[in-house]
Amino acid sequence: MSDLSSAEILPPAKVLVTGASGLLGRSVASRLAELGYQVTTLQRSASGLSTVREVRGSLTDPQAVEEAVSGQDAIIHMAAKVSVSGRREEFEQVNIEGTERIFDAAWAEGVENVLYVSSPSVAHAGESLVGAPAGPPDPDHAEGHYAQTKAEAELIAEARASVGINVLIMRPHLVWGPGDGQLTKRIIDRARSGRLPLLGSGAPLVDTLYIDNAVDAFAAGLRRLPQIAELPAAQRRLVVTNGEPRPIGELLMGIAAAGGAKPPKLRVPPAVAKAAGAVVERLWAVTGPHQDEPPMTRFLAEQLSTAHWFDQRHTREVLGWSPQVSIDEGLLKLARHIRRTGRVLN
Amino acid sequence: MVSWWRPIPANAARRPFDVLTNTPLPGVDPQWSHLVQARSSDGPHTFHVLDTGPQLQARGITPTGTILALHGNPTWAYLWRGVLAASVQRATPTSAWRVIAADQLDMGFSDRLAHPEPPAAGATSYRRLEQRLDDVDGLIEALGVDTGRPLVTLGHDWGGIISLAWAARRREIVDAAAVLNTAVDHPANRPVPQALRAAMAPGVLASSTVLTDAFLRVTLSLAEDNLPEQVAAAYRAPYVSRIGRGGIGGFVADIPALAEHPSRPALERASAALREWDSPALLIWGPKDPVFRDRYLQDLLDRLPHADLHRFEGAGHLVAEDRDVAEVLFTWLADTLGGQPAGPEHRSAPWSPPPADGVLGLHEQLDHMALSWRRDSPAVVQLAGQETASMTWEELKSQVEALAAALYAQGMRPGQRVSLLVQPGNQLTVILYACLRLGAVAVVADAGLGIKGMTRAVRSAWPEWVIGERPGLTLASALGWPGRRISVEALSPRAARLAGVEASVERLLRRGGSTALETVPMPSAQADAAVLFTSGSTGPAKGVVYTHGRLGALVALLRRTFSLTPGSSLIAGFAPFALLGPAIGATSVTPDMTVTKPATLTAQAVAAAAAAGKATMFFGSPAALTNVVATSGELSDAQTEALEGIKLVLSAGAPVHPELLDKVQQLFPQAELHTPYGMTEGLLQTDITRDQIHQAATTGQAGVCVGHPVDGVEFAAAPLDGLGIPADQLSDPAAVPGRLSEIVVSAAHLKDRYDRLWLTDRTSRRDTHRGLLWHRTGDIGHFDDAGRLWIQGRLHHVISTAEGPIGPGLVETPVDALAEVSHSAAVGVGPVGTQAVVVVLEPVAGRKLSVGSSPLALPEVGRRVREASTAAGVSAVLVVEKLPTDIRHNSKIDRSRLAAWAESVLSGERVSSP
Repeated sequence: MSDLSSAEILPPAKVLVTGASGLLGRSVASRLAELGYQVTTLQRSASGLSTVREVRGSLTDPQAVEEAVSGQDAIIHMAAKVSVSGRREEFEQVNIEGTERIFDAAWAEGVENVLYVSSPSVAHAGESLVGAPAGPPDPDHAEGHYAQTKAEAELIAEARASVGINVLIMRPHLVWGPGDGQLTKRIIDRARSGRLPLLGSGAPLVDTLYIDNAVDAFAAGLRRLPQIAELPAAQRRLVVTNGEPRPIGELLMGIAAAGGAKPPKLRVPPAVAKAAGAVVERLWAVTGPHQDEPPMTRFLAEQLSTAHWFDQRHTREVLGWSPQVSIDEGLLKLARHIRRTGRVLN
Repeated sequence: MVSWWRPIPANAARRPFDVLTNTPLPGVDPQWSHLVQARSSDGPHTFHVLDTGPQLQARGITPTGTILALHGNPTWAYLWRGVLAASVQRATPTSAWRVIAADQLDMGFSDRLAHPEPPAAGATSYRRLEQRLDDVDGLIEALGVDTGRPLVTLGHDWGGIISLAWAARRREIVDAAAVLNTAVDHPANRPVPQALRAAMAPGVLASSTVLTDAFLRVTLSLAEDNLPEQVAAAYRAPYVSRIGRGGIGGFVADIPALAEHPSRPALERASAALREWDSPALLIWGPKDPVFRDRYLQDLLDRLPHADLHRFEGAGHLVAEDRDVAEVLFTWLADTLGGQPAGPEHRSAPWSPPPADGVLGLHEQLDHMALSWRRDSPAVVQLAGQETASMTWEELKSQVEALAAALYAQGMRPGQRVSLLVQPGNQLTVILYACLRLGAVAVVADAGLGIKGMTRAVRSAWPEWVIGERPGLTLASALGWPGRRISVEALSPRAARLAGVEASVERLLRRGGSTALETVPMPSAQADAAVLFTSGSTGPAKGVVYTHGRLGALVALLRRTFSLTPGSSLIAGFAPFALLGPAIGATSVTPDMTVTKPATLTAQAVAAAAAAGKATMFFGSPAALTNVVATSGELSDAQTEALEGIKLVLSAGAPVHPELLDKVQQLFPQAELHTPYGMTEGLLQTDITRDQIHQAATTGQAGVCVGHPVDGVEFAAAPLDGLGIPADQLSDPAAVPGRLSEIVVSAAHLKDRYDRLWLTDRTSRRDTHRGLLWHRTGDIGHFDDAGRLWIQGRLHHVISTAEGPIGPGLVETPVDALAEVSHSAAVGVGPVGTQAVVVVLEPVAGRKLSVGSSPLALPEVGRRVREASTAAGVSAVLVVEKLPTDIRHNSKIDRSRLAAWAESVLSGERVSSP
């Protein structure tokens, strides 16, 4: 690419967003449409967005994928099986094979740019992360089916970068805010029913990402994708956070308070919680599908008992982005949202 | 032949990389490892060496000099891997040191000798000192060392003795000598150190050194922190079997502890020759060594008075493992033998700016006052309970001179160091000025360092004399401090004998009257006067040496800055300034307090002192002022009136909160309040009054405003870069207004040097800006447009955030102002460049600010802290019962310890007290 402007993906470029049924996918698709991009979404259920073209279907459905990918300038691939429970094969089908299918279709349809949405958990095995850089994906050490299959998928994405597709990998960490059913709603629900664990001291520092900042970061990532894709692999893996590590206990208390719940009280020593989480997880796997997630998983136990925060300097520099909503402002926005609508979800 | 001894066969040298299969040698480049055959006095032997010469040559670099490194017992050349690595890393085409670390014969991977008999002083199959010197001759020749270029010896333990003896023998080719813990002399009449005695006992020697690896294991256990397992294994590698350990026993047997030992003549020749050594010498010392105690260091210093010494407090026998000795060595070599053409900085020695005022000798005012019309007015006044003791100028002068003469008669000589373990007061003043008059150097290790800190400080300064009150002397005996002992009060013969005391000040004063003093000249301005100690809040206390000239400049500065004139009277609640009263010509009044515990000073005691001494000035510290204010409710009318006579209040040692100053002002309504800024290395740098503090506060700048430089003080700034590293190049304050910088200062009254800390001293004075002699203070802050200095904390405590470096003060100053906070500390956790800011609070009495048993602050407390700290984002707010502080000022927070604690708590580790 010769001049700088051509090295950016600008409206009215055509963009496919997969996984637009989740909060993050839906918010990103909606924002891109506002910015003037021509947005297509691919997901199984209705996104509820009126400003995008919608393709309904699963990543396991080659025809739906081909239809969605065809004619795009760029793809933001966010669809994944995120659950903390479930059989290994289900994760492989969506997270590994689905990603391969997206890249195959991009290659076949001549789509040059793919922003692959991943998770910091692909590079770590539960150790304390203190101002950590974005490490290489490591399927052998990642814990749990989700992180392992996402790590495999990242390796696939990196391999495709070497055959001419512009690849950027972004790893948001613990997205929360109004509309978030994954973390925010569960914390508030559990706090209201007195089932929110505040483990050990509650002091470990954890990085999170407020939803509006996440959306901005993805918009910036999309725009700069062709430039960033020219960097070496290690430099186009970006962990994305608010860059405001906070003690986990304080975050939980803050989110619970925003939901009008009493602050959490429960205390379990971290080692016990981790073991208990593992037991619950195994029970879950053999007793079949359930309505709710297990009350405490090994994944959550780790999040709550060890530090997880990251060096954001490189991320901010290459994205030309910085969070506009601080954690404290985010908590106020969340509280206002819940007061106004009576619920966490949109 | 001894029946239980199984002979050890000879064995040929081998490269470790050829014989070790499961033992990696971390830190050693296999390219360094060579075998070399060298001719010694008894024929050829093959030595194993680690030699960076070939590697340098392969890179096209011709070494500018050679370092020959000799290990001791029972280590091997592996000991020098840090120096070897530095040889390669630091090599440039114009400056490179080849390092040759040789395994001694019968040691490491060099040839093993046959030993038909067990090791003993007379056993001839074992190598002796004399032969080992011949070995070195052979090695130098065999290795093709270019003796036309600089050659430096380096040694440790036995290798120290051998290297120094060889250097003394080959003075014509050796240009400099450096040693780590070693000894060149062992008086035949003194017992060897306990730690060695066990291994040397006749029945035990062979079994502890050769038959088992006990001696080896004990030596390796002397590292400050446990050696990593792979490193310990590397040290053990050549000595795993009995037949490899003959040399260990041989070395122990060769220690010439007794007069008739066969190696005694060689040792005596070497130690005598060392007195003639006038080439550069460097001593690097780890004082926590059970064998080479500080007295051996003192012996080396006696022989090599010109030697540079860096004494790594806390390090031990394996100082090369405990600390970066290569940095000291290579920096020192560059300075002493660098051969660089003199840069602008070397053209002339840097100088200090002229003193603020005419400098007088420390005795001139005393002499002057004693002869003036004021001779019968009080020079020193001391209040203790209902007692008031005072001494006129004439009495003080005569006591000082009588004691000085008597001490001289007792054997005290100019330049000798005298540790003073005496509470501040009239008596200490007499003793101190007697020492100063003699030219003896006062070592002032105050109780504020804590007993451990005092012990470390006294041992580091190694005084020849101790003058103390009974508690001090008891402590000195119990802790084995060095020095001849003189008590303050006269002791019974029995008590004196028990305490090892040879005289008392009380009796010496009575004796006095001798004319001996006439032959003792007044000390010159360049002569050492005193060794003070830093508070040790950022690492072990450092000794700071002042000369007579530099203390004289301080006296001149105090007189000028605070308009102190002969006849002024000051209440001395802050020890350093109190002792300068006689030199200033001012009456010093010691109030009824424990001077080393400033928080014991009451308002009543100040009032009593003011009345007794007709004092117009009060010198105190923040802790003293806090207690004076706290006890001010109980003043009588007369006492209140006495305080109204005070015209100047000065608080030194740490910043004072403006609110406290306002309360102090109410108590001393007629006084002008000053809070000067300084440090042990330069007691007075800037000054600011209460009014100026309030005025400065309206500008809303970061940190604590300490005002303008006082006369004669020059400042410079070393701006911090994005990671918090201060610039190498200094800037004038006016050129970098507002820039967070390390504060650098130059003045005639600064320290002369750090004591026995060669590298620390060199680092502190490295700047050459404007041709002046500078001192890097280690404090950070900024200068504002009005030329005022604002301090944000210590360089050591900079928080290196992703947005750039900040000083703790940036966060602490506004947080300390919160009503529920007694005081706070801001520390950084995480990697440099992206650290998270953590605030640790100590609540005001009776407030609970944390969540349950967790150290986390209550949500509303966290919110208030974040709202207060607008200049920097705060990641976490933690609460502790008590912030860890230093003992001396009771106000300097141990932020390093706190940062480690916060990092562990915030990583999810078990919560303990900081």
